[in-house]
Amino acid sequence: MKFSGKIVKIPFPFTDLSGNKSRPALVVSEPDAYGDLKVLFITTSNARSFGQVLELSNECYSGEPLPFASKLHLDKAYLLSKDLIVKTLAAVTDKFLEQVLRSLVMTATTDHQTTKNSARDFVPGRSRVQYAGRVFDAHEVKNAVSASLDFWLTEGRFSEEFAEKIADFLDIDEVLLTNSGSSANLLAFSALTSEKLGERRLKPGDEVISVAAGFPATITPILQNGLVPVYVDVSIPTYNIDIDMLKKAITPKTRGVFLAHTLGNPFDLDAVVELCEQHDLWLIEDNCDAFGSTYKGKKTGTFGHLSTISFYPAHHITTGEGGAICTNDPQLAQLVRAFRDWGRDCYCAGGENNTCGKRFTQQFGTLPKGYDHKYVYSEIGYNLKMTDIQAAIGAAQMEKLPAFCEQRKANFRRYLEIFEPWKEFFVLPEATPGSDPAWFSFIITVKENAPLTRDQLTAELNARLIETRNLFAGNMTRQPAFVSRPGRIADHLQNTDKIMNNTFFLGTYPGLTSAMLDYTEEVLRDFIQRAAVVA
Amino acid sequence: MAMVKKVSATVAEVIIRESGSVYTLVLKPHGRSVRYAAGQFLHLALADYDPSQPWPESRCFSMQSAPDEEVIRLTYAVKGGFTGHMAQKLSVGSDVWLKLPYGDLFTREHSRESTVFIAGGTGVTPFLSLFAHPRFATYRSPKLFLGLRSAAHDFYADELERAVQLNPDFLVTRCFQNQTGFIDSEQVLRAGLAQSAYFISGPPEMIFYFKDFLVKRGVEPDRILTDDWE
Repeated sequence: MKFSGKIVKIPFPFTDLSGNKSRPALVVSEPDAYGDLKVLFITTSNARSFGQVLELSNECYSGEPLPFASKLHLDKAYLLSKDLIVKTLAAVTDKFLEQVLRSLVMTATTDHQTTKNSARDFVPGRSRVQYAGRVFDAHEVKNAVSASLDFWLTEGRFSEEFAEKIADFLDIDEVLLTNSGSSANLLAFSALTSEKLGERRLKPGDEVISVAAGFPATITPILQNGLVPVYVDVSIPTYNIDIDMLKKAITPKTRGVFLAHTLGNPFDLDAVVELCEQHDLWLIEDNCDAFGSTYKGKKTGTFGHLSTISFYPAHHITTGEGGAICTNDPQLAQLVRAFRDWGRDCYCAGGENNTCGKRFTQQFGTLPKGYDHKYVYSEIGYNLKMTDIQAAIGAAQMEKLPAFCEQRKANFRRYLEIFEPWKEFFVLPEATPGSDPAWFSFIITVKENAPLTRDQLTAELNARLIETRNLFAGNMTRQPAFVSRPGRIADHLQNTDKIMNNTFFLGTYPGLTSAMLDYTEEVLRDFIQRAAVVA
Repeated sequence: MAMVKKVSATVAEVIIRESGSVYTLVLKPHGRSVRYAAGQFLHLALADYDPSQPWPESRCFSMQSAPDEEVIRLTYAVKGGFTGHMAQKLSVGSDVWLKLPYGDLFTREHSRESTVFIAGGTGVTPFLSLFAHPRFATYRSPKLFLGLRSAAHDFYADELERAVQLNPDFLVTRCFQNQTGFIDSEQVLRAGLAQSAYFISGPPEMIFYFKDFLVKRGVEPDRILTDDWE
């Protein structure tokens, strides 16, 4: 006999064990080895309850409902012997029972997260001041658990929700989710090589302008597709491409510009967009470090033909691994989708078939007419999709993104205060005119007159548990993987080399507390003063 | 083509024609504006879409509104259980779920010189979205052959009049079955030039007939574009 899902009359013990009263209850488990089963208390009135209460509407029942409007109290759960059951009163549907069990899991998940994530005190010198990290609460974990209970796994309801939230935030038409920011860059770039773009497509040997002071994932798609990266020097203190040098770097072989908004600081979008329009160049914005930054009031990631976002834990929001490609161009969106989904021409969602109504009547390549469109491949693609569990986390993170961005800006301002007394020794970062960066980090270049070197300072900070990072690859052209690869340096990379040798950054992530920043200030002051005395 | 999206929409207007056998729905999508191209179609579901479940039972309908309009208009004839249910259930204020856009009727490469449009009955609806779009003004001497059961079935006279205003070279030929019979296929053939595209939309038998006729009379299959579903 199946017990779970039945509504039974059973004596309920009073909480002080002074007695009991027979009440209806929903059985939510099968009896264990001792014959005990879990039941949830049902009342007809708004009895005292500190947890979730579900109304038992007529749709909840699999047969005759209880004679009175009733409420199920999820916090009034007991383990009672099945032998205590007086009689069976009704039964609920499997769908409702699943909803009840899911609610119980969600409540337990919130309790678990509250306990696990209770704030730990920051102990200066003993606790780590991370440069980045996940910032989340029970919402993200509940979403992830909910997606796990769905067990849909591939793109599903949370993917739709996450993509829509990104589209709303950026005010952009098309958002495609992928499994990392690097994959997003690869897909955005690869889409531009499609033969469906005709003469506009990027071809092997074409040149694409970027910078060497950045992360490899902006450059590698250029090389992986057989094109030639052109490295242009950057300006300090914006750490973005030098516009005068960019103008000089453009040749008849130039077909695109692929640039990151360095550490959240937008590059000069007016100038770059104008040059791209003048020379008919593709523009991809690597927005991985700048999700939430604006330029002249408009979000970065909405200026280029395509843009990318990363959801790696160091970034503005996280899904663990994860990324997205954004565009207002429907054709580019379809190309990105095809490259992401094995190169498949068919755009039916997972689990769907023949939504276009032409699955068996079209002709492609030299395949026979009517060959199943679901297995027609129009691009040399990959499989780089996001899972629904990742998207569930992302959907929750999107609720926090505006606050995260504000906190990053506040932390940046605090660093400006911290470094203000020492600005004779450091080049402090500056936002590109017209921009409002949601700073990925606080980037500093040590001046030549400073009584310490970059390496001495970062060694000291890290020894005292304050994490620092260099500007990623420093000078990409000097990295072992790139030394012998195709590439052209436009004029020189003097500032890039300077960054490689003298620049580092501190985190601005929203998990930083004022105590952490005060500690950083203290350590910095102490070390600089000691260094100055020695010098 | 824009990526397929699922959106809910509210019925803003219901136009009932021909004693309740043909309906035009005006739908107002919720949330961000939806993007589609002229000639595309959508899936319409009456049941509430639960994102944790597969897409519910739905049917395909051509969008007759221009892509830049805030509302989506579509027309259906009551022909079976689903459309019968639509006629009973949908009134102003009802909510439906849409999945769109699909199809590539006018996004496929084609000549805009003396383009010939052949439509039967409500099959004209996918053409209407093009006729209402500013892009239609770039077609040179387009011609529409519209087969209708009778003058009483000429539901889209206003839309076609506006199309003529948009493109004064637009020539509309109506063929009423109860007066002049079916569309004259020889006249259709003569309406096009050597490079002209022929768009056909309507009942499957009509599409098959004209496609077969045009191919037999030397029109390359690439120039014949149809709005038909399996």
